[in-house]
Amino acid sequence: MWNEIKNFFVSARRTTREEAKGRLHLVLAHDRAGIDGAKLQELRAEVAAVIRKYVEIDPEAVEIHIERVSKQDSQLTVHSPLPSRPGVTAG
Amino acid sequence: MGRAIVITSGKGGVGKTTATANLGTGLAQLGHSVVLIDADIGLRNLDVVMGLENRIVFHLVDVIQGRCTPQKALIRDRRIENLFLLPASQTDDKDSVTPDQMKALIIELKSSYDYVIIDCPAGIEQGFRNAIAGADEAIIVATPEVSSIRDADRVVGLLAAQSTPTRLMVNRISPAMVKRGDMLSQADVIEILALELVGAIPLDDEIVATTNRGLPAALNGRSPAAKAFAELARRVSGAEVEEEGVRETGVGFFAKLGRALGLSPA
Repeated sequence: MWNEIKNFFVSARRTTREEAKGRLHLVLAHDRAGIDGAKLQELRAEVAAVIRKYVEIDPEAVEIHIERVSKQDSQLTVHSPLPSRPGVTAG
Repeated sequence: MGRAIVITSGKGGVGKTTATANLGTGLAQLGHSVVLIDADIGLRNLDVVMGLENRIVFHLVDVIQGRCTPQKALIRDRRIENLFLLPASQTDDKDSVTPDQMKALIIELKSSYDYVIIDCPAGIEQGFRNAIAGADEAIIVATPEVSSIRDADRVVGLLAAQSTPTRLMVNRISPAMVKRGDMLSQADVIEILALELVGAIPLDDEIVATTNRGLPAALNGRSPAAKAFAELARRVSGAEVEEEGVRETGVGFFAKLGRALGLSPA
């Protein structure tokens, strides 16, 4: 019930126009980079393997995203948790 | 020497052919000589949008393959001075023409006419390559929708790779829907594609009706879209046009009162 009320106000704030804009920015960031989902996952696995050469991490916890940072530019972002103590695998 | 402008979009059904017909008509009305080329070989349509389908004898592929001169294949529009159509072939396919052959033909036409407007087929394959080959500049037609803008962005990239200057025409804008927040605005489209705007055409039932008759809307110039197309033609021909884009028409006090009283259409 509460969620429905919340959703009503949230969706009222975010118009379909804004939603279209958000989806477009994301799709275009991928298109312009020329990287599809499969390639991005391949890259993620490789980056995780490289990080693991230096730091003990859980390769499954590594995340990779393409994000738009300005009108013209997108950036590739890699998130990797680090271990809190040496010898303890992060993730 | 004339200018060759390709009308392209990536996605089909967004109004390239209608834009070509109306831009050409508008430029001819301004006193320029204009040739329209239907580059959609195998799926020709510019002839029916222009209402010239019954007068086709020769076509683009005949000219390219040397079966007749360009002058012989051009259909003169009888409603307006200095407007000509070079129709596509309906029976050949896209690779019966090469980009170099198109380039040579367009250079020849530019020596006799002020504008050569090329109606590009949908897609980014051979037909697109042929259509953009001889163009000095491009106008991208996009509707305010995710799929159209996405495809337009691909085409912008391909045109940039061959350094063709590119401008944007946003088609079928509904000011009422933009106001409600249910449609991307022309400003949104400009921002996303990072292109200069050359025209903004409102959604207008008249376009369907005039297309049914084979009359480019710009010929009569009464409807909102016809006015916007005339503005597009003025801007393409280099005139400074003050007002940019679509205004919401018919929602003023008197229009509302008229509607309430049943005096003007809702």
